[in-house]
Amino acid sequence: MDATIDNKTVPSNEERLAKLEGMGCSRKRYEDPRFIQGKGNYVDDIKMPNMLVGVMVRSPYAHARIKSIDTSKALAHPGVYAVLTAEDLKPLKLHWMPTLAGDVQAVLADGKVVFQNQEVAFVVAEDRYIAADAAELVEVDYEPLAVLVDPLKAMAADAPTVRDDIKDKDVGAHGARKHPNHIFTWDIGDKDKTDRAFDNAEVTVKQDMIYQRVHPCPLETCGCVASFDKIRGDLLVYITSQAPHVVRTVVGMLSSIPESKIRIVSPDIGGGFGNKVGIYPGYVCAIVASIVLGRPVKWIESRTENLTTTAFARDYHMTGELAADKDGKIKALRVHVTADHGAFDACADPSKWPAGMFHVVTGSYDIPNAFVSVDGIYTNKCPGGVSYRCSFRVTEAVYLIERMVDVLAQKLGIDKAEIRFRNFLRKDQFPYQTALGLEYDSGDYEPALRKGLAALDYPALRAEQAARRADPDAATLMGIGICTFTEIVGAGPSKMCDILGIGMFDSCEIRVHPDGSAIARMGTISQGQGHQTTYAQIIASVAGIPASLITVEEGDTATAPYGLGTYGSRSTPVAGAAIARASHKIREKARKIAAHLLEVSPDDVEFDLDRFVVKGAPDQAKSIKEVAWAAYNNVPEGMEMGLEAVDYYDPPNFTFPFGTYICVVDVDRYSGETKIRRFYALDDCGTRINPMIIEGQIHGGLTEGFAVAMGQQLTYDDAGNVLGGTLMDYFLPTSMETPHWETDFTVTPSPHHPIGAKGVAESPHVGSIPCFTAAMVDAFAHLGVTHMNMPHNSFRVWQQSHALNLDQR
Amino acid sequence: MNVVIEKVFPMPCSADTAWQFLQNIEGVGNCMPGAKITERVDDKNHKGTVSVKVGPASMSFRGNIEVREVDAATRTLHLIGTGSDVTGTSGASMDLVATVKDTGGTTCELVGKSEVGMTGKAAAFGGRVMNSVAEQILKQFAANFALQVEALQSQQVAPAPVQSEMNGLALAWAVVRDWWRGLFAGKSA
Repeated sequence: MDATIDNKTVPSNEERLAKLEGMGCSRKRYEDPRFIQGKGNYVDDIKMPNMLVGVMVRSPYAHARIKSIDTSKALAHPGVYAVLTAEDLKPLKLHWMPTLAGDVQAVLADGKVVFQNQEVAFVVAEDRYIAADAAELVEVDYEPLAVLVDPLKAMAADAPTVRDDIKDKDVGAHGARKHPNHIFTWDIGDKDKTDRAFDNAEVTVKQDMIYQRVHPCPLETCGCVASFDKIRGDLLVYITSQAPHVVRTVVGMLSSIPESKIRIVSPDIGGGFGNKVGIYPGYVCAIVASIVLGRPVKWIESRTENLTTTAFARDYHMTGELAADKDGKIKALRVHVTADHGAFDACADPSKWPAGMFHVVTGSYDIPNAFVSVDGIYTNKCPGGVSYRCSFRVTEAVYLIERMVDVLAQKLGIDKAEIRFRNFLRKDQFPYQTALGLEYDSGDYEPALRKGLAALDYPALRAEQAARRADPDAATLMGIGICTFTEIVGAGPSKMCDILGIGMFDSCEIRVHPDGSAIARMGTISQGQGHQTTYAQIIASVAGIPASLITVEEGDTATAPYGLGTYGSRSTPVAGAAIARASHKIREKARKIAAHLLEVSPDDVEFDLDRFVVKGAPDQAKSIKEVAWAAYNNVPEGMEMGLEAVDYYDPPNFTFPFGTYICVVDVDRYSGETKIRRFYALDDCGTRINPMIIEGQIHGGLTEGFAVAMGQQLTYDDAGNVLGGTLMDYFLPTSMETPHWETDFTVTPSPHHPIGAKGVAESPHVGSIPCFTAAMVDAFAHLGVTHMNMPHNSFRVWQQSHALNLDQR
Repeated sequence: MNVVIEKVFPMPCSADTAWQFLQNIEGVGNCMPGAKITERVDDKNHKGTVSVKVGPASMSFRGNIEVREVDAATRTLHLIGTGSDVTGTSGASMDLVATVKDTGGTTCELVGKSEVGMTGKAAAFGGRVMNSVAEQILKQFAANFALQVEALQSQQVAPAPVQSEMNGLALAWAVVRDWWRGLFAGKSA
């Protein structure tokens, strides 16, 4: 039965709500039937007539001068169409390209290589096999140079210079440079006030910690198919991008082709997690090759190429300090970070923020004074520094503050839950101005922690732990980790955030067809988030069109309105708001048409789930379906035909989701083997659009958090060799390793968001990682351990156990 | 990735014979499993190749060997070898100091200290077995060396070196066998 109103057969509200499948219901994912049947359409599924395939020739050295490149044997190989080197790109001025962070990056190595597996030449051939064979025939003569691996040694007088091209530049994109390997120093906060608070403090603590280099490692690697039509002058690129419109603008800048002649399509994307935000040399080479050869050219990374050359995350070497009184009330926070950005500064942050939103580092706590200083450093490692499932360095910030609060608690002998209660921001302090200049929109931290402690019977756990510690024969150590995080997502207000000068708004365009069904297009792009499901739910609730009748389309710049894409949990906070507002515009126009049909004033008509009713006369009603039909044949005088709306939403502020996570671990003191006994995750993401998708997002984020905390690391040896470049070495948890997750929630809507939603996908990643470390450290805390660096794999945990002589029987 | 390998191999000949053979770079090079000296550039410099095949992966290194020092008084030879895989995916280097030590009469010892460096694919995939592989290679080298000096001692025609290409399967087997033995060898491993 459709929504046509006949008073005798009007379905119940429950039935109408069920049919709408609006916000708050666990609508099944629209995307899943195609994914689970193998019917997705990923970039590598795209095959075009006459398509060629490109393969990169890469450097085995982390730092070496290129003495010569001989491509003759490769070019002579049957089936090879072109071999591009920096020399070939030079006349086009495409041998270097701008990065999102205001630096430049070599598309193909120009004179020297500065990280292992750097792009040196691009071989284009009939198929991938021929191209791979021919790539081995490209002879490159290298002269190895001294390698810089340790960022803490980068600014030494005798350190090898990574970047010859800018070694004499004393000003970079983010201010003064004090060494050839120095990128920027970024300070925020009141240094003098903070220093004074430390000088006068009753207690201070200090802790060094390394947030290791990791990689988002999406299941689908990066790649593209570029196709240039020489006759029409049009460029079509299918690409694994989290931000197709930004790619179009960058490609336009690089190629001088007008944006109107460039079409970027992100089809189904197999996970991004930040890895697919940047522009990579492979994309540029495929596009150039297609323009030169006039044939479509495909480039798809191998797993090793993905892990070792496209954007990594973290690599923050941090020192945190807290000043407090004897009761554990925090007076000041001081942080220094040495940030290893690799050989080119290709971080994906809003342009003005070289350390992203790291200044959310004051966390969930009322900290009156804070000062943060970040030094960005070049080393002979892969460029990157993206936000792996977090909103621009938020993971690093949350890790630091959560660790420091624990360190302070240990120093003062205060329980790790209690110290949080003593420092939490209170509900009545919101909106709250932090010492580092952010305005938190809403939060209610104390009830969340109380709920978590009750759910796990925290006092009983601590009693069990005390008994375990008292037992000299206990084979396992028990740790309890608590993390009460605040995230910052939804980048962002254009007054603060832009990418290459474009404000970080997002957009939505909705067209309602005569039959009452609709198509909606957004500037974002799902990589697994389920936008086609949840976006339709927002429209259903606001405009009264059943979600099942709404087609959601993203990722094609030829049809979608301009948007900044999907990363940093920005889709719901930014695009979600645009969707709600566009839906509202539809509803308001529909109200006028309904009033016209009912022959009353629009003010006398009210919206009721999926119809408009005359106030006080509920039998006088018009359904959205009837209104949609009328929009194409019977509109009020002076009104344009049709029923469509566009909205570009520039958020007034970020949103600040929060949560309480608690982890219980058992550690075998002899082997270092760890078992996650329980993991409780309470998330508050404001208004909840689809609880099932939220739960899925949280499970995914927790699993990736588990991966980072317990096993992931991109290791480099002294010669700059990447030792974590395959899934043999790089930990990707499966259902075998992943612990059981217990999820919970509270709801504290965002006051400035049209529907109160805050975004959720990254909280579980951001919040779980410090929680795992907290639990691991807590297992050893009674023996004086205040910190253990990740990853907490068995070997490293055993080393800790061994250092304390705990592994001796 | 660098590993330092120090080895002592007893040799069934006099120190003088061993030293005489050690100065024959072509001869010594050919004792290395999978290695071949392809060109003598001058007294100090040679060109050569090393091939290794483990399972489906094969690597062929091309490079230069430079004689840094020949000290007859201490019977010491210092070599530097650098090379890269012909497919351009790996690099390797070796700094070797070899000394012949007299142990009296008809026996002596060949003492080798080498620092081997690897970059690229070889380091990424071979890193974790590099020590064991190097050890196996050196064992085969010592065996070949012993055959050569024994022949030289008795002025016979030397037999051909055991293998011209390093046999990956046998090498892998030897690595696993030694690892297995190491498990039961107590703390000395």
